[in-house]
Amino acid sequence: MSHSDTIPLHASSQSDIDEIENLIYASPATVLPARPPSPPRASIPVSSSSPFMNSNLPNPAPPKSSFQNQIPKPPSSSSSSLPPPPPPSTRPADISTSGFGPAPNTLTEPVWDTVKRDLSRIVSNLKLVVFPNPNREDPGKALRDWDLWGPFFFIVFLGLTLSWSASVKKSEVFAVAFALLAAGAVILTLNVLLLGGHIIFFQSLSLLGYCLFPLDVGALICMLKNNVILKMVVVCVTLAWSSWAAYPFMSSAVNPRRKALALYPVFLMYVSVGFLIIAID
Amino acid sequence: MEDSSFTGLPTSHLLGSVPAVIVEEDKTTKHVAANGGDRRPGGYQTIGTPTETFEQQPTNNWRGFFSVSSYSQYFDVDTDAVMTRLISSLNPVGGDFFSKIDANPDLYGLIWISTTLVFVLASVGNLATFLMQKHGESSTSWSFDVSYMNTAAWSIYGYAIVVPVAYYFFLQYMGSKASLIRFWCMWGYSLSIFIFSSFLLLIPVEFLRWIITLLTGVASASFVALNLRSYIEGNDLSATIIAAFVLQIGLAVFIKAWFFA
Repeated sequence: MSHSDTIPLHASSQSDIDEIENLIYASPATVLPARPPSPPRASIPVSSSSPFMNSNLPNPAPPKSSFQNQIPKPPSSSSSSLPPPPPPSTRPADISTSGFGPAPNTLTEPVWDTVKRDLSRIVSNLKLVVFPNPNREDPGKALRDWDLWGPFFFIVFLGLTLSWSASVKKSEVFAVAFALLAAGAVILTLNVLLLGGHIIFFQSLSLLGYCLFPLDVGALICMLKNNVILKMVVVCVTLAWSSWAAYPFMSSAVNPRRKALALYPVFLMYVSVGFLIIAID
Repeated sequence: MEDSSFTGLPTSHLLGSVPAVIVEEDKTTKHVAANGGDRRPGGYQTIGTPTETFEQQPTNNWRGFFSVSSYSQYFDVDTDAVMTRLISSLNPVGGDFFSKIDANPDLYGLIWISTTLVFVLASVGNLATFLMQKHGESSTSWSFDVSYMNTAAWSIYGYAIVVPVAYYFFLQYMGSKASLIRFWCMWGYSLSIFIFSSFLLLIPVEFLRWIITLLTGVASASFVALNLRSYIEGNDLSATIIAAFVLQIGLAVFIKAWFFA
C-alpha cells in the first residue's frame, strides 16, 4: 500500500503503517510496544501453529495424517475442525501479551478485566494529553492509542454536572451542553481538515474530548460551591488548562499561516462551555 | 509536491486513514471554481488530475458531495486574509468587497462569524437582560435562560444561510450574474459588526441601546446593499437591493428586541 509513494509521511501516519505491516507480516514476538498489552483491534490469527499442536496433544489417537493435514490449512477453518481443545484459560498470559492471541480470549475474560483495561487506557491517555509530558508536542506519539470511551465519559459527565447545577430546564441544559460538545468536536475536526491540515479524524475527536477533563473538574467544583467569584476564578483556570492541553495538537496540524484560524474555534468552544459553567445557577 | 506540504492533501477520503498520496488538484480546482463560481462540489471535475491507484477520485459524481476535500477549496485562506476581510466588512461604504473576494471566496468567515454571533448573543443577551432588570428593580436574581442559545442558533444560522440562497435563486431567475459562495461569504462577513454591537448593548440604558442598534443596523445594511449593487450592475434590480437593506436592519432590530429586551 505505501511502498510506492515517495513523499515523506507525516509522523502520525508512520505508526499506522507500522501497525498494519506488522499485522500482515507478524510473528508474535515482534509486536508493537506502543500500547500496554491489550488485544489488537483487528484480531487476525495469522501466526504460529503452536495452539493447534498444544490442543492436539490430549488426543494422540487421531492419525498422524490428519494432524499433518491440519497444519497447512488456514487457521480459521482448522480452528473449527480441531478436537475440543482445552479451554483457553489454561494458556492465559502468554497469548495476550503476545498481542496476537486467538479472539476467544477477550470474549471469555471476566468483564472486570475488560473494564479495567479500558479504564487504564483512559487514564494513560489522560496523563498523556492533559498533564505535562515531554511527548505532547508530537501528535504521532501523544495519543497513539486513542479511544472514544474517555471523551464520552467526560462529555456526559459535563452535561450531567451542568444539568444538576441548573435549577430550571435541566434537560434542555443537558441537551445544549451535549450537543455543543459533541457537534463542536466534530466541527472543529472538520475545520482543521478543511483548512488543509493533517489530522486523523477520530484521534482529534479523542483529543478534544480528553481536553475537557479540566473543565469537568471545574464544573464539579462550581456545582458544589455556588459563589460567583469562585466560579469565575475556577473557570478561568480550568479554561486556560484545557486550552493549553489542546494547543500543541491543533497548532501542529495545520500550516503555520493558518494556525490562528484553526485555534480560534477551539478557544470559542471552550469559552462557551466555560460561560455555561459560570452562568448556570 | 512542490507545494508546501500542508495544502491540498486529501487526507480525509477514508476517515482515519494514512495520508500517503498527494494529488495536484489545487490548481485545477481553482480554475473550475472561477467559472461563474456556482457551487458544484465536483471539485474533481478537473482537467487531467493525475490518477493514483490507491485513492479513487470521484469525477463529477455524487460522491464528491460527501467528501471533505471537495470543500476545502472554499477554506483556502490564511489568517491575514481573513483578518483583512473582517476589517473591510466593518467599513459600510466601501462597496468593493466582492472584488476583494472574487478570486478566493471563503466559507470560513460565514461559519465562524455566525457561530461566534450565536454564542455572543446567547451569553451577552442573558447578561444584558439581567442588567436591565436590575436597573429597573434591584431585587432580581440572576437566571440563565438557556433557550436564548436555541433561538440564537436558529435565527442567525437561518438568516445567514437562507437569505443568500434566496438571493442567488432570485438573481439567477432575473438573469443577472450570481454566485452562491460569494453571497454566503459577503453576508457572513456582514454579521461581524453585530458581534461588536452586542457588547455595546450591555449598557442598560434603553434609549442608548436603540441608538446603537440603529447605527449598527444601518452600517451593516449599507455594507450589504452597496456591495450587492456594485456586484449586480443593473439598475432595474434596485428593489432587491432595498430589500436586502431592509432585511439586515430587520435582523438588527430582532436581535435587540429578543435578546436585549
